[in-house]
Amino acid sequence: MERSLKVLVEPAWDEIEKARNTSSDFLNAHGLSNDAVHALTMVVSELIENSVKYGKFAAPESKVVVTIDIEESMISVEVVNPVDETAYKHLKNLDRTIQWIRGHQDPFEAYIERLREVSKRPLDDKESGLGLVRISYEGRSILDFFLGENDLLSVSAISHY
Amino acid sequence: MTAREKETFVGNLLKIELEEKKDTINISWSGKSVDREPGKFITPILVNAIRRSSGLNKKIILDFRKLDYMNSSSITPVIKILERAKRGRTQIGVVYKKSLKWQDLSFSALEIFKTKDGRVEIKGL
Repeated sequence: MERSLKVLVEPAWDEIEKARNTSSDFLNAHGLSNDAVHALTMVVSELIENSVKYGKFAAPESKVVVTIDIEESMISVEVVNPVDETAYKHLKNLDRTIQWIRGHQDPFEAYIERLREVSKRPLDDKESGLGLVRISYEGRSILDFFLGENDLLSVSAISHY
Repeated sequence: MTAREKETFVGNLLKIELEEKKDTINISWSGKSVDREPGKFITPILVNAIRRSSGLNKKIILDFRKLDYMNSSSITPVIKILERAKRGRTQIGVVYKKSLKWQDLSFSALEIFKTKDGRVEIKGL
């Protein structure tokens, strides 16, 4: 059975659920526990949500590319999307958030800290700010990112299940 | 809404059922909360329930046991309500299914909003 799944996702919010279901089926087919499938599907979902929110899909053929690799001792999820110079603020935030999460010995502490902070924001504030730290805590994943050629942003989450 | 009446709200894949009982207002969540801005759907339901509960001195129970998935943007309106309840007078309880790992991880973290007097409670069943 293929140990790798590649999904091309249209950069539209309604497409995320389809990608979630495809990912979930793939992970289930590899005999992962329900808990692991749920956690990894959450990781996929949160990363695609960020892609759709912050990616720049100027070309009509632009897509979010999701790759899940199941290896001997780890599972990696990578989500790639195009960006442009207007996304640099987001990249700075991404970098800052990942470094901030890594600065905590236990991702649970980071999650709790962020919960406290977000809970005090106004009710109509639209930013969640919980996605990456949730990936780290609930998804038990180590996050990383790089900006590759042609302004393609790759965000990855690696976990051991 | 008259006493003990049931109201159902559906937003995309999420269903929220609100049922007023003798001492409580039960708010049961089912399906998936996956909207881009779920607060637009969730927040008014919760705010209205809080207004009603304070007038009637009833406890709000947020029951997530039948919920299959919520994105991180859906957690935000819930924790904002819990934070405000913690600082105010609202009685509010969160109930989740402890045997589901994701629910246990997500909702046990909300214990930071618990109050010593039991006015805000978080329970895994």
